[in-house]
Amino acid sequence: MDELYIEATKSSPLVKFDPKNNVLEIVGESYPENAVKFYAPMFEWLNNNLGHLNSQPLTVNLNVSYFNSSSSKALMNLFDVLEETFQKVGKITVNWLYLGENETAQECGEEFQEDLEFLPFNLVKIENG
Amino acid sequence: MIEDMYELYKTLKNEGILFCFIGPISQSVVEGIGAALRHKMELADTTITVSQRVFSIFVEQMQNVVNYSAEKVNKDEQIDGDLRFGMIVVGQKTNGQFYIVSGNHIHKDDTERIMGLLDTLKQMDKEELKALYKEQRKLSPPEGSKGAGLGLIETARKASQPIEYTLTSSVEGRHNFLSIQAVI
Repeated sequence: MDELYIEATKSSPLVKFDPKNNVLEIVGESYPENAVKFYAPMFEWLNNNLGHLNSQPLTVNLNVSYFNSSSSKALMNLFDVLEETFQKVGKITVNWLYLGENETAQECGEEFQEDLEFLPFNLVKIENG
Repeated sequence: MIEDMYELYKTLKNEGILFCFIGPISQSVVEGIGAALRHKMELADTTITVSQRVFSIFVEQMQNVVNYSAEKVNKDEQIDGDLRFGMIVVGQKTNGQFYIVSGNHIHKDDTERIMGLLDTLKQMDKEELKALYKEQRKLSPPEGSKGAGLGLIETARKASQPIEYTLTSSVEGRHNFLSIQAVI
């Protein structure tokens, strides 16, 4: 699978895929002016690469402490795409990481979880400090 | 203008205004004022949950202006880097509650749709708002929309009271002036 690297800015997260360990990461805050445009390269990457899931499972780690409503839609879209692939070939795990004190991030993770039927979606609490 | 400045300053201070911005709103304005707002709440020991709600509504309301204000500053119909004119006020009531009021011109043609949505949101409780949010999140965005059409629902969800709005006919025939207030 190809590499993917989108650098973080003040209002958009780091988006990174490391082909060595098959981990896709989204880390940071997400409230870009145009979420559709910001996430387009990631969806293009998914489109080109999800068909080539090899024997190593794909792990998706998200640590998004805040996201705006249009990013929320983009993330839902991401999970829908992953769920579709999971139903065909399995081998995908999503981890939603949040800081222990960030109740909002926890609730947001729970709301995504509620809307997914098959995709393994874990809520992972990170202890502070 | 210079003669009115002190009066304006006093009026705003007496109303508990923390920030008042009028002008072209761009993404960098959202980021800049947003950072200052967070800093101010941190210094005032505002709880994390309240501060997150204030920030979230602030971002949605600002981006609403960026995406939908009828008053464009740059005339070119370019997709990004739009500057739209609008106003935003962040204040704190004497009881400590934060409020955010946005104001901008909207096209007359959009008025009915936006008012319809706002009237619906006003009558919904938190569970209904959550259900609507999740339903809309699963749909494709409306044609010509940069946002997801979710911003107002998000604002209503994060507010502690039903959002209020007023609509004023603008002298310029094609627009109305819409103000939306959310109390956190």
